[in-house]
Amino acid sequence: MVLKILNDWLKRSNKAERLWLLAKIEFKLRYYENKLGLLWALIKPLMDIVIYFVVFQIIMQQNVPAFASYLFIGIILWNFFVESTVGTIQILKTKQYLYEYSNMNKIEIYVSTLLSNSIGFFFNFLMFIIFYTFIEKESNGLSIQNFWIVAVFLNLFILSLGMSLILSTIYIIAKDITQIWTVFTSFLFFLSPIFYKLSTFKARLPLFEYGNPVAGIIINARRVMMEHTPPDFPLMGFDYAYATIILLLGVLFLNRLGSKAAEKL
Amino acid sequence: MKTETAIIAKDISKTFHISEDSHNTVKHRLFNLFNPPKRKDVPALKPTSIEIQRGECIGLIGRNGSGKTTLTKVLAGVYPTDTGFIKINGSTMLMNLGVGMSHELTARENIYVSGSVLGLKIKEVDQLFDEIVEFAEIKNFIDTKVKFFSSGMMARLAFSIAVKAGADIMFLDEIFSVGDMKFQEKAVKVFEGSWIQGKTVILVSHGMEVIRKYCTRSAFMKNGQIEFFGDTEKAIELYKTDNQ
Repeated sequence: MVLKILNDWLKRSNKAERLWLLAKIEFKLRYYENKLGLLWALIKPLMDIVIYFVVFQIIMQQNVPAFASYLFIGIILWNFFVESTVGTIQILKTKQYLYEYSNMNKIEIYVSTLLSNSIGFFFNFLMFIIFYTFIEKESNGLSIQNFWIVAVFLNLFILSLGMSLILSTIYIIAKDITQIWTVFTSFLFFLSPIFYKLSTFKARLPLFEYGNPVAGIIINARRVMMEHTPPDFPLMGFDYAYATIILLLGVLFLNRLGSKAAEKL
Repeated sequence: MKTETAIIAKDISKTFHISEDSHNTVKHRLFNLFNPPKRKDVPALKPTSIEIQRGECIGLIGRNGSGKTTLTKVLAGVYPTDTGFIKINGSTMLMNLGVGMSHELTARENIYVSGSVLGLKIKEVDQLFDEIVEFAEIKNFIDTKVKFFSSGMMARLAFSIAVKAGADIMFLDEIFSVGDMKFQEKAVKVFEGSWIQGKTVILVSHGMEVIRKYCTRSAFMKNGQIEFFGDTEKAIELYKTDNQ
């Protein structure tokens, strides 16, 4: 069954090409239309890092080792999540031209947009590696454990895709979901271990490591990139289950509400 | 595996619920939990069945508001149906004046995106690219964003993509009103050429000449229902009496 579907998919493999084409165009639209271009995608996380570094390391003196890198990896993962959820709430409206005149499957629109965000993430991630290996003084260097980042990122991708599906389909019937989700993400942001010392975070908010799906992803990304330990497998398993459930919910929402997009938006 | 039927639709219908005040925010919904909005139901398409064979050219006629556009959108899979079921074999494309292009993209990008949506591989679009540009007469504006195009240029581009790239099943909504006389002549030539062979076409038009010329069977619609489906001459006759 699965093999048959895969085979069928590959044969008419213009789908894979199409996803990549749409992702490339989306990426170009986002970064080449403004003057700073791609540079901006790289500057923004750096600015964030400077701000949080000043606040949490210099003013509040948290004493986290290699804090700039600690922030760096947390922020780029978080930014991917925000861009892929807040940034896609109105996707069914902005990309209406793709599905309004043909029977193209809507999920492709989401996947291509997230792929485009992944390209952005990839550049940020390269910067992180360069920063961590050459500039960071307390760096442990690179290790074979780093490859786990692929699994961690895939987890984030699934989670973001699911969330994006849910939010953008709710948008069809409730336009103010944009504002609600923006508030909610800033709430999640402060309840994520992005700039706190991990031990403090775990002690004060014991359940949030599990409750906030992005928290576990950030924790595991740091383990594999900076501490050179394998990911915390129970936490990773939990986050994968979390993300899968959200994705299934998202697909359900898309089938129920999303099919009405052409007539309601 | 090629099946003979292009579209099978059984008892499909579509009703639009139009609420008078828009309950489309969370706040509005919460504050008006016990005060549901006044709704008006517009039955745009009453239960209808239709079967279209591969390679047929079907005419769809009827007065304004008779449900032609809704029917084409349901048959193309753009709107979900409320009742019944529908099976579409192949990719579909709906063509009317505001056709599916992004205003933010250039003509080049739009050609690639539309071609890809219609099921072509990038290489195939590469091969068709010059033909499309040539046919649309937009050679000097390939890398211009479509939003700066005149409506005529836009329609020509869309028509050219549709003609050259083409989906398996094409819904053409009043396409003969596109472009100037020269372009219209070209469009008609396309229709008389080999292009139409092997494609399933549903032609929506008020121009009876066009319908008579190209359609083997036609459907006449009235009040959201297909009143008659069969011989083109008879459908045109019914339409003419309805207009009196």
